[in-house]
Amino acid sequence: MIPDAEKFLTILNREDVEYVVIGGVAMVAHGSARATFDLDVCYNRSKQNIERLCRALLPLHPRLRGAPKNLPFRFDARTVAAGLNFTLATDWGDFNLLGEVAGLGFYDAVYKSSALQRVAKISCRVLSLDGLYRAKTAAGRDKDLEALKEIKGLKDLKERLGEE
Amino acid sequence: MNTIGEYENIEEKSMTPKQRKLAYELISNPPPGSAIAAAKEYGIDLTLLVENLDLTVTQRLRKLYSVASFLQKVRQGNGAGR
Repeated sequence: MIPDAEKFLTILNREDVEYVVIGGVAMVAHGSARATFDLDVCYNRSKQNIERLCRALLPLHPRLRGAPKNLPFRFDARTVAAGLNFTLATDWGDFNLLGEVAGLGFYDAVYKSSALQRVAKISCRVLSLDGLYRAKTAAGRDKDLEALKEIKGLKDLKERLGEE
Repeated sequence: MNTIGEYENIEEKSMTPKQRKLAYELISNPPPGSAIAAAKEYGIDLTLLVENLDLTVTQRLRKLYSVASFLQKVRQGNGAGR
């Protein structure tokens, strides 16, 4: 199932979760034409924030994506605190939680490379084009080569239009 | 921290007519040596980027949801036919 970013961000905001939208959805927010099928967010790993995050997501029954069905997994604050990055399937679609982003670091560094964006009736922090470039460069995947060219072109275009 | 107050003055924007005109000029004749030119040379469809920049962030995300949902249906349809 494709996640509806607007719905996800609404429930995260409702619980006052500290997060930054990263990955493909962040790229689309900046104007990228690439389709993506999951929502990635970098979250603050403070105890309070992990509790808020779990409260927000529990009703969506998060489970490990691609894991054997008999693998025991309980999505709660203890599990999230013991782990770092999670690829989840939920009732609303695929959702990835990253405590650390390659090329950037933990939440505080990702936050510094983000800006506020309004999405319908809510607002959220979205990773900048520079941050996306650093993250995708660090990931070093062949499939990101095209994305890197697009990010640079998009940034140049936006700068010349006075948007960056 | 995501606080309500922080969000109050954030407005959604799309391109102005002047920006739109300039954007189409830039993608038709990218400045030599620019990242726009490099992206075009690589095969990035710059018209799609300008189309998206002409939308608000909300509209871009809604378009993504619509396109991705359609693509998923196509994928599922292909799988069912095998």
